[in-house]
Amino acid sequence: MTTSTFIAGKGVLYRTDARAKLLALILLCVLVFLPVSTGGIWILFGMAWVLAYHATGFRQAMQPVKSILFMLIIMTLFTPFTYREGTVVLQLGSHLMLTREALENLSILMARFLSITYLCTLYVWTTPMADINLALRWYGLSYRAALVLTLAFRFIPFIADSFAMIQDSHALRTSAIHAGKKTWKRKIADVVPTVTAALVFALKSIPYLAMSLEHRGLGRLQKRTSFRHLPARGGFLFTQMVVSVMIPTVLWVLFT
Amino acid sequence: MQQPLESRLTAIRIALTAVLTAVVVVFTLIVRVPTPIKGYISLCDVVITFSAFLFGPWVAAIAGGVGTGIADLIGGYAQWAPLSFIIHGLQGLLIALIARSKAGKDAKLLLMILAGVIGMLVMTGGYYLAGGFLYGFEAALVEIPLNLMQSGVGVILGIAVSKAVLKAYPPVRALAQ
Repeated sequence: MTTSTFIAGKGVLYRTDARAKLLALILLCVLVFLPVSTGGIWILFGMAWVLAYHATGFRQAMQPVKSILFMLIIMTLFTPFTYREGTVVLQLGSHLMLTREALENLSILMARFLSITYLCTLYVWTTPMADINLALRWYGLSYRAALVLTLAFRFIPFIADSFAMIQDSHALRTSAIHAGKKTWKRKIADVVPTVTAALVFALKSIPYLAMSLEHRGLGRLQKRTSFRHLPARGGFLFTQMVVSVMIPTVLWVLFT
Repeated sequence: MQQPLESRLTAIRIALTAVLTAVVVVFTLIVRVPTPIKGYISLCDVVITFSAFLFGPWVAAIAGGVGTGIADLIGGYAQWAPLSFIIHGLQGLLIALIARSKAGKDAKLLLMILAGVIGMLVMTGGYYLAGGFLYGFEAALVEIPLNLMQSGVGVILGIAVSKAVLKAYPPVRALAQ
């Protein structure tokens, strides 16, 4: 199981510091909820898509759209039918199908959802997970919380592999007991032994992990030092932070 | 040299939270049960409920929140990560606080069910609100039945698995202290 979301590519986002990008991401996500023009939000989405295309290519840049396609279809089907007042755009007999207000609302919601999806996805595509953890540390995440994050990432592949093995061995056992077609209730009941075994397996690793942490000096009174630091990429960190604030501010001024 | 008790508890608590966080990620991304409407539900709620019953509010909140957040990042739904962190974190916290409110260390069955139902409402309501802000309250209604089903299965299996784990691995009580 791969836990990395980083995609090797090119472009300005790869050269920008993780902390500055995180600040810009939060401000831009706030921006789409402010009273700005719909065209402005679509422009923001367009900019995010162009960055994704430039960084990773067309195929990869379309992935976020594919992942939210179902919700986009649901939005298109449901939103117009809930706005029944305003200028009529489409009417079939006595049935009002579409109004201008409904279209405008759908446009805002789609632009907002697509923008947030692309902005968040771009951040995790262009920033290694270790850098995201260090950026969060820089913003005040405690040492212990960062340690939990790091350990969790180390354990995910191990637990995933173990679960696959447990599932395979239980599949052999249950197929012998319940031959024939399984009902939905039977499928859920069959999950209990597998899940229990996987949890017991994971829980048994905790004392060993705790012992390793103690041996590495966790809990000692002296202040802990960090092995890894996050160097400012592509120039001065202060300059990048200022730019990260300036971009959303300029867009806000332009789009209101 | 013998480590002080507080240090040992800290190490165990960190190890417990990290391992349960990883289990939540795996159960969200890999362990899926097919539903009658040809979809899938993930079993992350089982681990959150289990953690809440056995290990208390903070472990459940952090493992549930961080685990589902990481699963969203890895699974390609990065926009949901902060929302999942808040919703599932709150779900774990509330389930544990209610289930362990009167029973001391071990939660009683009735309280477990009540806590589970409140957890279901928090999860479903939280995602409805979040979905409402992201893509409109009308479209967000579609997700309510599946979220209710997922959290409902999570509560039922969470209770069953908690009892089963206590029987299969009694030292888990020492970890819970």
